[in-house]
Amino acid sequence: MGGSYEVMSPWAEVDPIALEGINPRLPDLRGRRIGLFHNGKVAGKPINDAVEVELRARFGDEVTIARFGRTANLEVAETADRARYEEWVKEVDAVIHAVGD
Amino acid sequence: MYDAVFTERLRRPAVALVNAGFALDARSAASGKGMPGVRVVTETVPCECTEPDRIASGVHAVIDDIVAALTAPLTSDEQSPPPPETIGTEGIVFAGDLAEVQRFFYRRGWTDGLPIVPPTQAAVEEMLTGTDLPRDHLVGKMIPRLGKVTVEKIAVNAVMAGALPTYLPLLIAGVEALLDPRAAFGTFEVSTGSWAPFWIVNGPLREQLHVNGGQGALSPGDIANAAIGRAMGLIVKNLGGARKGLEDMGVQGNPGKYSMVTAENEEAIADWEPLHVQHGFQRDESCLTVSFPNSYLQIWPYGSDDKGILRAIMSNMVPRWRQLTLLLPPGHAQTLADAGWTKSELASYLYEYARVPAYRTPEFWGTPGMQRVRPPLNAEDPTPLLRSPASLRIIVSGGAGAFMGMAYGSSTWVTKPVTLPAGWDALVRKYRGLVPNHLRY
Repeated sequence: MGGSYEVMSPWAEVDPIALEGINPRLPDLRGRRIGLFHNGKVAGKPINDAVEVELRARFGDEVTIARFGRTANLEVAETADRARYEEWVKEVDAVIHAVGD
Repeated sequence: MYDAVFTERLRRPAVALVNAGFALDARSAASGKGMPGVRVVTETVPCECTEPDRIASGVHAVIDDIVAALTAPLTSDEQSPPPPETIGTEGIVFAGDLAEVQRFFYRRGWTDGLPIVPPTQAAVEEMLTGTDLPRDHLVGKMIPRLGKVTVEKIAVNAVMAGALPTYLPLLIAGVEALLDPRAAFGTFEVSTGSWAPFWIVNGPLREQLHVNGGQGALSPGDIANAAIGRAMGLIVKNLGGARKGLEDMGVQGNPGKYSMVTAENEEAIADWEPLHVQHGFQRDESCLTVSFPNSYLQIWPYGSDDKGILRAIMSNMVPRWRQLTLLLPPGHAQTLADAGWTKSELASYLYEYARVPAYRTPEFWGTPGMQRVRPPLNAEDPTPLLRSPASLRIIVSGGAGAFMGMAYGSSTWVTKPVTLPAGWDALVRKYRGLVPNHLRY
């Protein structure tokens, strides 16, 4: 096919994002309070039910469990639940997020 | 994933437990938030599973991985993430012949699979004559990638889609509609439900741009109907960054994502308020409305009078999809208007009488996400198919013939006015002669 075309990019520029590492892990879950979060999707809560059963089977009473559930699949930081979630996170040592798709 | 990133920012280790089919989506979401190392454990629990035994076995299979994700030491990349891949966003990105341009764009994942019109600087300059806004004007940032949607980038994608410069004002209004929080675009653009944006044009622009709202309006063949929807799809992909199978996780996909555009036939029934007037705009304003149906059904009436039309509509409404756009061809609209119906009376009537026995609804069975505080008690209790009369919009669209259209979804409708440039009339004159002249045989 003849002719040459110099073409422009359709791809959007984005603001640079400062990349962040994740937090150091826990040496062990024993003696810890583990948060179970679900995002309100269909299988979210029952998956956390199953996770709790598994943690209990493995660690017995050596872990404690705290739950936080949503009723709508919206980013918790962007909702009125943000402050309540921040307080909840302070009370736990780590969080397992069940996405529930 | 966004919630797991937020948790890490609150200085707690987090792990996201996701279905294996969503691993790439999860990774992309974490990277988009600037924290690509968020730990993800994939499971094989069937999607949206409601069976406790299958959930239990799926979680049991990965519990070691979950514990490890919270206890195993960090890798160097998790501590200090490497910079992500980048590609050019400014200026000329490629030069080649037509076939080479097509292959370059396709390999970059910048097309919808169909060939594109090469977005040369000259073509983009011409497209920009469709607005008085400066090319670097930022209309907004589009999720999930938070790409900067500038007027120039809209124009580049519009050229690729085969749009005319006169469509540019509509495309800018379309972006504004998508970015309106009421549209819940962040959910509908990437949802497993494969929701497709359905664009309805109202006002004088319909005629000036030859947006088809008549015979076969939703079929291919009209440059405006085809290119406006296509351009919006490319904008979502290239500026929002929602790519099929990576961020857009529609299970079945949707042909409506190529283009689903019509115009309301506002003149058919003079007494009926056009959609944009129902939404608070003036009749002589040009507006664009978006909603997100995921299914489209064509309905054959049970009789030619108003009762036959309404019986067919009610019998073809289905549970669960509870916000509907009804497309009435002008003939049926006239029949209903002659029998005294208005749009609002039709909506109220369908809300009141379009019902099914409770056992046909997910609410009766307690389907997660569909529970009600006061569910129906008996399997045969008549249960409304609409949430309210406001959950239905009616437009007159289509041509001669008996078939009606029904777009099923769960989104609301967002309408935006279209802002035209100062030299609009001249621009319309320049392009409005572009119409097919079909051979008669």
